[in-house]
Amino acid sequence: MKDVEGTCSGRHGFVVAITGIESVGNGLVRNGTAFVTFPVKYQCVVFRPFKGQILEAVVTLVNKAIWDSSEAGPVQIFVSKHLIPDDTEFQAGDMPNYTTSDGSVKIQKECVVRLKIIGTRVDATEIFCVGTIKDDFLGVINDPAAA
Amino acid sequence: MPPNREDDDDVDEDYDGLELEEEEEEEEEDGANEYDDDEDYGSRGGKAVGAKRKKSTASIFLDDMAHQVDDDDEEEDGDAEDDFIVDAGTDLPDERGDRRRYNDRGFLSGEENDEDVDDLERRIQERFSRPHEEYDEEATDVEQQSLLPSVRDPKLWMVNIGREREVAVCLMQKFVDRGSDLQIRSVVALDHFKNYIYVEADKEAHVKEAIKGMRNIYANQKILLVPIREMTDVLCVESKAIDLSRDTWVRMKIGTYKGDLAKVVDVDNVRQRVTVELIPRIDLQALASKLDGREVVKKKAFVPPPRFMNIDEARELHIRVERRRDPMTGDYFENIGGMLFKDGFMYKAVSLKSIIAQNVTPTFDELEKFNRPSENGEAEFGGLSTLFANRKKGHFMKGDAVIVIKGDLKNLKGWVEKVDEENVLIRSGMKGLPDPLAVNEKELCKYFEPGNHVKVVSGTHEGATGMVVKVDQHVLIILSDTTKEHVRVFADHVVESSEVTTGVTMILSFWITLVLDNPSFGVIIRLENEAFQVLKGNPDRPEVALVKLREIKCKLDRKISVQDRYKNVIAGKQGPVRHIYKGVLFIYDRHHLEHAGFICAKCTSCIVVGGSRSGANRNGGDSLSRFSNFKAPAPVPPSPRRFQRGGMGYNAGGRGRGGRGGRDDSLLGTTVKIRLGPFKGYRGPVVEVKGDSVRVELEMKIVTGNPLFNFSACGEWTLNDNCYGKRNTYASFTDSTSSLYDSNAGLGATPIHDGMRTPMRDRAWNPYTPMSPPSRRRNLLFVSKTQDIAAAADAENRFSSVHLVAADAIFFHFIF
Repeated sequence: MKDVEGTCSGRHGFVVAITGIESVGNGLVRNGTAFVTFPVKYQCVVFRPFKGQILEAVVTLVNKAIWDSSEAGPVQIFVSKHLIPDDTEFQAGDMPNYTTSDGSVKIQKECVVRLKIIGTRVDATEIFCVGTIKDDFLGVINDPAAA
Repeated sequence: MPPNREDDDDVDEDYDGLELEEEEEEEEEDGANEYDDDEDYGSRGGKAVGAKRKKSTASIFLDDMAHQVDDDDEEEDGDAEDDFIVDAGTDLPDERGDRRRYNDRGFLSGEENDEDVDDLERRIQERFSRPHEEYDEEATDVEQQSLLPSVRDPKLWMVNIGREREVAVCLMQKFVDRGSDLQIRSVVALDHFKNYIYVEADKEAHVKEAIKGMRNIYANQKILLVPIREMTDVLCVESKAIDLSRDTWVRMKIGTYKGDLAKVVDVDNVRQRVTVELIPRIDLQALASKLDGREVVKKKAFVPPPRFMNIDEARELHIRVERRRDPMTGDYFENIGGMLFKDGFMYKAVSLKSIIAQNVTPTFDELEKFNRPSENGEAEFGGLSTLFANRKKGHFMKGDAVIVIKGDLKNLKGWVEKVDEENVLIRSGMKGLPDPLAVNEKELCKYFEPGNHVKVVSGTHEGATGMVVKVDQHVLIILSDTTKEHVRVFADHVVESSEVTTGVTMILSFWITLVLDNPSFGVIIRLENEAFQVLKGNPDRPEVALVKLREIKCKLDRKISVQDRYKNVIAGKQGPVRHIYKGVLFIYDRHHLEHAGFICAKCTSCIVVGGSRSGANRNGGDSLSRFSNFKAPAPVPPSPRRFQRGGMGYNAGGRGRGGRGGRDDSLLGTTVKIRLGPFKGYRGPVVEVKGDSVRVELEMKIVTGNPLFNFSACGEWTLNDNCYGKRNTYASFTDSTSSLYDSNAGLGATPIHDGMRTPMRDRAWNPYTPMSPPSRRRNLLFVSKTQDIAAAADAENRFSSVHLVAADAIFFHFIF
């Protein structure tokens, strides 16, 4: 169970938690080892981001071209600089951030933003998202630095 | 073309150039005839040009074709003379045609002179009175095919001479003088084919006869027969149908501006000149001094960088700037020393030949430059639509999302339903519009939406894939999968695709490559068109080299481990180790944006991220946490000795999830395999973890002949200090398994037993005696959690230390 939780399959998404085991099939002894493999059917909670989904995420990295945020889960979401409001400017320095022209909003590491996923790319073992905060009601919702 | 044609048949000639190539052959006959006719015309005092002349030249042309087809049908004897005559008739007065007919007939058969003039006239009338509409369309393939020369037609002979034009005229004169004696049909001198003329005749002898005594024709001239196949080619005009129109992007071929992008602003087809708009490369200083009449030192190989002309700047340098109004367009131009400028651009009239109009694909930067001054209002990428002229066939595919960029339906979006030659049927889904709607290909552009995953199929970024993050008219901004960088491409250059280049790149980046010179190696971090970018294995500084495939000596398998911790403390970076080679680690850090996230470091400067998975270390949460169980070898190696030796590469697999409770638990019960030392290859579950050592219950091989006797042993290994471990091994072996051991003793020495009594046992007994590094190294112990290896190996590709046990050996899990 522990092995599966936290993995990601392209088809279903991230396995967050297993809620129950449905059935355990017949075991199969593996050649050359003492191990037996069992097919196990289980139910689980999965996390699969989809296009258009709005979620809240923690910013983990800010850089010049892209700032990359990570959802409070396993998925990485990239937010391109083209997808943050136009009046925002990049400020380099110790704590790179994006600041609006009036300085009221600052996007930097560790702050929580609400974003919309505009595209996903699903690999066999990874889900990769591109998000935007350039829309109504999207943006920083909690800034630990300011608080 | 015979030179004289130029005089009076200009229009015809134009048509010759434009019309289909296949017709050229016949047409040439025409040309020759015309020439003959004209000649006749003059010499006989000329009759009024007949009604036929009134026809548009185009229709004449088309009629000719028709006639020839007819002739082929009618004159079954293949008498090409008829062609000849009838052709002549097409743009000559009928009577003249008749006369010609007499002549020709005369020299052919000498009998048909009496043919009824009226009859002929009637026939010709008949033909021409046919409606022309019939031929409005271009001749079909079949018709054209029948126009091609056949074996029955006169051959074309190639004669090497000098002054081909002169000879051609002489032959014409000769024909006029000698009339039917000259049994050649036509003479062709091509401007682009010097020193040769083509003579049309049935026999080589005829040609010889005709050219005999000519000046400029060398004696014993070889006359070459042009193969029938190539006959048409001889007279084909290379149709360079460059449809240069305004706003087309071109490139300059020569001069200071060689290679520069230019925009066509005006085309003069007659004079073969175009006016182009360029970003001037002018050295104002030099210009100023030149205009002042001072000597300008010409520096060779110096090309001023392109920049927009600043008129004020020029004035400051006392360059005379005239402001003139162009009478045609009404625009004002600044005139500096004969050069015209407007809005910083230079306007230059150049010959068509000095520009390249085909396959011009301006880069984004170039276009942007052109766009800069006209920032006011709509930043339209002026000639962007003309870019599409160059696109390949099959550009649009069924199902593509497209947008109309020109005409009334501009900005209409739709999906491609079907692609015909030029037209694309699109389904727009709009009410009130026919569905599907046919739109010219050139009016369409591909359309993408943010979030689409696309692949770049042409242009500078060819091959890249990424996700569209922004659509700015026809320019897409793509977040590349590979580099996580922004790439700007034209919508036209990409196709929607679910393919991911990273896939390829990633596979390749698992290669550690040995580059040509032996000591250097690296890891592929990026794929380019034909080369790889390789991050060289130089821990001191990041060094990226571009390496061609052939320079790569070999791909290294990843069956390597090093004797140190995996964690770069010095640089403060962390990430899973992707490759190890020669003591150099390649670490992947996704926050490291350079070099595709790869960092190269010496293993000795790294330690495994240890210890707590308290959650503060988010990154550690993935693969690094695997090492979490081994906090003991703290960031600073406890002893220099250990450090030097690199301790033991503990490559524990698995996610270490079980480790939450405490580090002891995590290994407990997991099956490990001993990688080195006397127990190399054996495996078994860990029964105890004590400090740096683990006690492993070995799974033993069935002793031959007595399958019931299983052999189990329990050994203990330290994690870092194998000599220490060895002692323990032995001790625990004797202690805990003594009974079993004893019971099996009678079976003879098992290989395991022998193996355990390594020669080094005695020395190893005292863990506190420092040992020489080499021997220790040899006995390096490596323990892996096999249980997690399957999963981990897939994910990380780095648990190379795992060998699957040979299938023939059956292991029993013996619990005691």
